[in-house]
Amino acid sequence: MITIKVNGQDRQVNAPEDTPLLYVLRGELGVMSPKFGCGMAQCGACSVLLGDEEIRSCITPVSALEGKEVTTVEGLPARWARHSGSAAKDALHPVQDAWVAEQVPQCGICQFGMMIKVTELLEKNASPTDADIKEALTTSGPSPHLCRCGSYAAILDGAHRAARLMAGEVK
Amino acid sequence: MSADLNIHGASLSRRGFLATGGALIVAVSVKPGAATAAAGTTLDATAPASWIEIHADNTVHIRTGKCDFGQSSIYTAYRQIVAEELDMPMSAMTEVITGDTDRTPDGGGTFGLLRTNVLNLRKAAAYTRAAVLTLAAQKFGVAEASLSIKDGMISGGGKAASYGDIVRGGDFKLTIPVSGDLMSPRGLLVDGTPPLKKPSDYKIVGQPVMNPTIRPKIAGQMPYVGDIKLPGMLHARTIHPATLGSTLVAAGKVDKALYPGAQTVVIGNLLAVVSETEWEAVSAAQQVAGETKWTEWKGLPGHERLFDHLRKSVDWTVYPTRDGRANRGDPTAVATKKALKASYNVPYHKHAPIGPMVTLADVRADGSVTLHTISQNPQHLRGMIARMLDISAEKVVVRTYPGPGHFGRSNGGSAGTEDEAVLLSQALGRPVRLQWMRPDDMQWSTQSSAMVADIAITLDDAGRIATYEAEHRGPPMQDDRLVGALLAGKPVIPAPGAGVAYGFQGGELNIADAWVYGTVANVREQGFGTDQLGEKSSPTAVGLRDHSMRTPIQFQQNFPRESAISEAAALAGADPIQFRVDHVDSPRFKTILARLRDESGWVTRPSPAPTAKARGKAAVRGQGASIMLRDNGYWACAAHIAVIPETGEVKVERITLVADPGIIVNPLQLKRQVQAGCLMGVSQALHEEVMFDEGAVTSTDWSSYPILTIAEMPELRVIIAGDAEAGIYGQGSESANALAAPAIAAAFFDATGKPARRIPLRPDHVKAMLSA
Ligand code: FES
Ligand code: FES
Repeated sequence: MITIKVNGQDRQVNAPEDTPLLYVLRGELGVMSPKFGCGMAQCGACSVLLGDEEIRSCITPVSALEGKEVTTVEGLPARWARHSGSAAKDALHPVQDAWVAEQVPQCGICQFGMMIKVTELLEKNASPTDADIKEALTTSGPSPHLCRCGSYAAILDGAHRAARLMAGEVK
Repeated sequence: MSADLNIHGASLSRRGFLATGGALIVAVSVKPGAATAAAGTTLDATAPASWIEIHADNTVHIRTGKCDFGQSSIYTAYRQIVAEELDMPMSAMTEVITGDTDRTPDGGGTFGLLRTNVLNLRKAAAYTRAAVLTLAAQKFGVAEASLSIKDGMISGGGKAASYGDIVRGGDFKLTIPVSGDLMSPRGLLVDGTPPLKKPSDYKIVGQPVMNPTIRPKIAGQMPYVGDIKLPGMLHARTIHPATLGSTLVAAGKVDKALYPGAQTVVIGNLLAVVSETEWEAVSAAQQVAGETKWTEWKGLPGHERLFDHLRKSVDWTVYPTRDGRANRGDPTAVATKKALKASYNVPYHKHAPIGPMVTLADVRADGSVTLHTISQNPQHLRGMIARMLDISAEKVVVRTYPGPGHFGRSNGGSAGTEDEAVLLSQALGRPVRLQWMRPDDMQWSTQSSAMVADIAITLDDAGRIATYEAEHRGPPMQDDRLVGALLAGKPVIPAPGAGVAYGFQGGELNIADAWVYGTVANVREQGFGTDQLGEKSSPTAVGLRDHSMRTPIQFQQNFPRESAISEAAALAGADPIQFRVDHVDSPRFKTILARLRDESGWVTRPSPAPTAKARGKAAVRGQGASIMLRDNGYWACAAHIAVIPETGEVKVERITLVADPGIIVNPLQLKRQVQAGCLMGVSQALHEEVMFDEGAVTSTDWSSYPILTIAEMPELRVIIAGDAEAGIYGQGSESANALAAPAIAAAFFDATGKPARRIPLRPDHVKAMLSA
């Protein structure tokens, strides 16, 4: 049996060791925000944070994660509360707030991975340029983060607003 | 109240008195003879499946059989339009219930949401408002004409009451006239002419209302289609045949040592693996697939020979020819000196949702069938599932959830997996959740038809268009048959074909691109249809199935037309925008073209650019334009691009889109829809082409069917300037995707001096065009 920390909680995993994290999260642990898109590390729909790094849960066997810490979109509010020291009830992570304020999603199926990737970026680079955001969402990982609906303009707006929210420049 | 009251042809009854609560519920009455008597055509408000419910606490529930795919019109524009028609505040529209066959009305496909579809709700709201006015007049003891409504308060004769006050204690049912058949592909239409509010009086329509579903979605609190679970549920993966015409020779066996919990299911040529856990189902399916034998089949021309095949090997006389509605004069009788003759090609496109399709089906021993899925036409899906199982549709319920956008693929009901999940659940007696893998979704779903066009334009001595002739050719754009049912050998609706009357299965090719150059005296546009490729020769009757995708048929016809108009402008030595201004007759087009010229950084001059070059390592730059008329909405686009001739790389640097789509219901949501649709169009222009060999689709994933990335996003200038008098609500995602391709192709011509008569403008095609 493997133990991984998911969104701050230790969770025991019964699945066979070669099971990709995505199937463990969704099938066994009931953590549903990472989505199945391709199963081949080509799209980013399944992205989660492993520590501070974005990974593709569809190709990451759970056996590689013993004792590691995984954050999904469900865990973003608590992650922000820890980082910022604020603990307002029902608060979201600034990236999520920005996604609402800028009305980013169309169908939304890609946006869980987009928000994870943008969170990773903003934790390292507090005021990214357009080029930084584009780089993060294309060449920095195993594949570009794809949005079929074409919400890229909204994603750029969302990422910039999230940066301002995290810096406390806007509310 | 004794007798029923007549409200503009609807009938209002009071079924009793209630001690608490009270409501007015809109029900439907299907005109006798207007609809088939098929089960499910009568909606009883107690079911409840009404459009609108007014409650004593002044809340309103809205129901629609349409489904939201993230563009949000159902949650934003629909609430605004109903609130507006009722003269109630937006905050009263507390709930929108969508797309579940057991609790929503309408039926029909989710498309043109703000065109025809919204009229059902708008009229239902107008009937409701009129009914409440009648009740208020009785209550106040005054004439209806003396009453007015503001912010949900009805007042007159010195008295006032809210909607809630009027219905409190009552059990009202307003039965409104409808026609059509709930489970037909087109669904129900609300009849009659209740008094509608004048657009000039709109206050709520036009506001930038936020989409209330975004917060719960991005917080992970709103389940998506793939997230639904049931006790005892099995996971399934389909193992699809080797080709689109293969049949099963021998199914592989599960290696029980590796996958003790997995088993295969075989129904005709439908083969699947199921297991308690999803990963075991995925792994075992891969193992079984490797050991399964299928017959060979070759019935497709392959993508490399596709356009040759369409031009040379198809008999286009079998299907009746369709003439364009704008045809006039006689192009063959005009003799002129300058002529353009050119042929254009548009490949097959995939809808390519980011998530492959998924359905959870629950077929019970009592014969009930429930599907948890995503669909743009749940009622027709319900009908097709009943037909497949040969059971009454009363037994079938389709519940829908948010999911991956697929842009029209399921507007006839099915996007894939629904039927297969049902057949598996029936065979196993347990709920089955079936998700397609990426290659299944690429290879076994429908595609948007390829089309070819031959265009001839002649110019008079003044350089104006004297004649325009276009012949458009392509397979049908809509096949709603269930592919799993085909493989399993179960009953399906008729295949698309010439003269097929069922639903959208008629195979003739209409001229869908509305003619816009009204000053041209001689116009002849014709559409020629044929069968879907490989369908007739496929032993399973599958072949390369087609289905409408954003701006269907018009996309495929507008690219050639607008590309040819840009080339004709060059022949005339005219600026491409001015050439269009000189040939359109609509003032709305002239307005947006002037705006396009101002906003896009356009340089007025003929194409090609003085700097045009078809060779070299250095980037060459160009500008191009396109226009389109769709649903009384006017669109114009300018593309600015760079081409590196040596590598064949095309970079779209800026897209400017000016739209006058009519009445703007929600500028915030419309802007997002238009931006997104436009970028999908850039993706189609630069990258998208379905590859296939003689038997199978070979575009199986994102590397063999690439789409636009955020890094390739051009600077996007979207200007929405709607004509409030247009009499139509403006919509966005459709139309917006169709303009980029011809504008980018025209910019390519401007930059290089070589016409781009096919898409996508991918390096290999570009190099071929430049060396031609
Ligand atoms: S599902 Fe993991 S990258 Fe696509
Ligand atoms: S919002 Fe639909 S795929 Fe990105």
